[in-house]
Amino acid sequence: MRIRVLALAAAAALLTTACGDGGGGVDVDDPDAGPGENGEASGAEGGTLIAAIGGEPDQLNPLTTTSSFAFTVLENVYDTLVQPGDDLSMEPALAESWETSDDLLTWTFQLREGVTFHDGSDFTSEDAVASLDYIVAEGANGWRFAAVDSFEATDDYTLTIHLNTPAPNLLTQLGNFKGLSIAPAEAIEAGTLADEAVGTGPFRLVSSGADVIELEAFEDYWGDGPHLDGIEFRVIPDEGVKLTNLETGEVDWIDSVPPEQVTDLEGSDALTIGRTAGFDYWYMSLNNEREPFDDPDVRRAIAFAIDPAAIAEAAKFDAATPNETAIPEGSFWYHEYAPFGHDPDQAQQLLDEAGVSGLTIDLMVTNEFPETVTAAQVIESQLAEVGISVDIRTEDFGTWLAEQGEGNFDAFALGWLGNIDPDDFYYAQHHSEGVNNFQGFSDAEVDELLDQGRVEVDEDARKAIYDQAAERIVDQASYIYFYNPDIVEAWAPHVTGYETLASAATRFVNTRLER
Amino acid sequence: MSDPRVHQADAELEAPSTRHQSQWRATVSALLANRLAVFGLVMLTALVLTALFADLLIRQPINAQNLADRFAPPSSQYWFGTDDLGRDVFSRVVVGARVSLQVGVVSVGISLVAGTLIGLWAGYRGGWIDTVWMRAMDVLFAFPVILLAIALVAVLGPSLRNTMIAVGIVFTPIFARVVRGSVLSVREELHVRAVRSLGASDRRIILRHVLPNVAAPIIVQASLSLAFAILTEAALSYIGVGVQPPDPAWGYMLSDAQRFQRQGWWLSVFPGAAIFLSVMAFNLLGDGLRDALDPKQRSVIESRGVE
Repeated sequence: MRIRVLALAAAAALLTTACGDGGGGVDVDDPDAGPGENGEASGAEGGTLIAAIGGEPDQLNPLTTTSSFAFTVLENVYDTLVQPGDDLSMEPALAESWETSDDLLTWTFQLREGVTFHDGSDFTSEDAVASLDYIVAEGANGWRFAAVDSFEATDDYTLTIHLNTPAPNLLTQLGNFKGLSIAPAEAIEAGTLADEAVGTGPFRLVSSGADVIELEAFEDYWGDGPHLDGIEFRVIPDEGVKLTNLETGEVDWIDSVPPEQVTDLEGSDALTIGRTAGFDYWYMSLNNEREPFDDPDVRRAIAFAIDPAAIAEAAKFDAATPNETAIPEGSFWYHEYAPFGHDPDQAQQLLDEAGVSGLTIDLMVTNEFPETVTAAQVIESQLAEVGISVDIRTEDFGTWLAEQGEGNFDAFALGWLGNIDPDDFYYAQHHSEGVNNFQGFSDAEVDELLDQGRVEVDEDARKAIYDQAAERIVDQASYIYFYNPDIVEAWAPHVTGYETLASAATRFVNTRLER
Repeated sequence: MSDPRVHQADAELEAPSTRHQSQWRATVSALLANRLAVFGLVMLTALVLTALFADLLIRQPINAQNLADRFAPPSSQYWFGTDDLGRDVFSRVVVGARVSLQVGVVSVGISLVAGTLIGLWAGYRGGWIDTVWMRAMDVLFAFPVILLAIALVAVLGPSLRNTMIAVGIVFTPIFARVVRGSVLSVREELHVRAVRSLGASDRRIILRHVLPNVAAPIIVQASLSLAFAILTEAALSYIGVGVQPPDPAWGYMLSDAQRFQRQGWWLSVFPGAAIFLSVMAFNLLGDGLRDALDPKQRSVIESRGVE
């Protein structure tokens, strides 16, 4: 009976919201109230959504984990100051509004009042400061705040951020994903976040085991929703098994679909496919510190010889968009630039001019991401057309990363996930001092542009800088880009109000079960 | 060679050539009488021929990709269908036979030579040499086969050559043990003690008197090990540390197929059947050889046959 009671409570909460809405609300006593925005509340509330995820979260502290599975769960438990909206620009969340000083070095955020943590304590600016300080000191994302001098709680609901240099992308750095969540100051001090999740989100953590994580609706959530009684996350690593579980009704929602089946399933009535162009990208890179790959013309020749469209089709079927740059169409920062295409003749000519023949490339890929192994085989056959042979080397991911770190490769293929701001897309990877510049790319022009982009506050001017940087990076073939994969999720037809987001955030706050 | 007496003793103690011949003839006829072993032998012959003449048998270049024809079911054009990159599965299975056999023969060759040398030396000499070598073999033996092979390949780097080396090392203790055990008993046999007392060199005794008498268990072990070597290679390739793509190896094809269960049953069935049949063939032959080469076992079989 507990479930029934909870359902009623949730329904009551929603009715209150509906009535309080003023002009937009409908009369709940009116029996003819159709299934409008608020009217469908009565019949559709409650139920526990069963969601299948591909792996077990390593820990539940959002500030230190880097596991995407942890974020799939914690997305619903925690909030950030701002969060990505539909077009991935940052929208208010725990911060309601903000302003910037004239010298661009001081940002003042007005925080939302009346927000309660799951442990019953009130959210104040002290919590925001404690969380952000912790992220800088111990979190996995401290690098995002390189420009920050200090975080200050000016009063209970005002947060001031002091910067050393202007940071045009500060909002993105604050709200990109739930790795930047706000947790209570006490829990941070006590060091209990890894075991006990205490957020301000629509659901709170009830229990977490090896295979099952249970959330229940948080009645004092500050926003609209949630409409479910709870969510049960089940860990099912195999994509095929996950899909079968959805088809047989064992689970209601799955976090990924085998790419080769997306097209077939899109016509199916038995389930709903959520698909949107994602912000991840996959690429290969050549070791700029080894001959002959230190010659940009040789790298360019390889780029000409490779067909990104064929790689996208082979590796992702058609659940991906070929792209010769990193940032996908649909982003404000997208810049249409595709100088290579698939042109083996041009490739051959460049190789001849560079005096390179009989080249063999050691290409490192990993089973952890089978798309890299598939891509490598397509690359092998395409480079064979211009007389380059490829030795594919499949390593386990741990070894792969170690080899990459030590520079033991001619070439490697992998992807980057979850970037939004162009600085995330380029700086660490292509600046000569970037921490992830494993290919040893060094170009004065690119360095200068990426440094400028970090401090330019005018958005259009900033975009012009990154467009130029993108062209230069592509021309110099620091990375040879393949495609942006679609984000594909699937759920049962009785699940409504869920949307697959470009930011890959899995938000169940508006989700309902209508059986 | 300087001592004529040794020669003489050798000649007397060596079995007359007719006895040798009759022994082998008996072995062969016992083997041929075993229908399962003959079946294994026939399949192996087919496998070897396939591997040798793979280039003539294939119907498409093995790495030719054709995305338009991906996941084509078996047909007159693609006998075993096509895979996720539109490659002809039949051609890849055929060439995969060569990879499997190569790994089997080379790695078992490595372990046979190394294991036999170690076993002969340790068993013949005894004492601390025996202790040191056999304890070292015990250490190797204590690891699960696949785990040790994975560890070795991880150290050496994934490639076909390193897979063969790793499998060879992993199987060495098996041969060392089998050989040492046989040597221990042969060493004390009358004819060996006799030639030793006549002053024959250790080398001569080992090569001419001990080795021929431990050959039977080595042959049986080699045949069975070939089956396990092929399985181990398939397992290593399955987890991606063996033969590197795009080269076709059955284990690798099988692991690839797992992702595409729903797209095509033929992706897993044909490489799987190839592994199954070749391993079974080596096992049947190995069992048959053991029965045929072991006189005690043989008499049991024969008496059973009489009943």
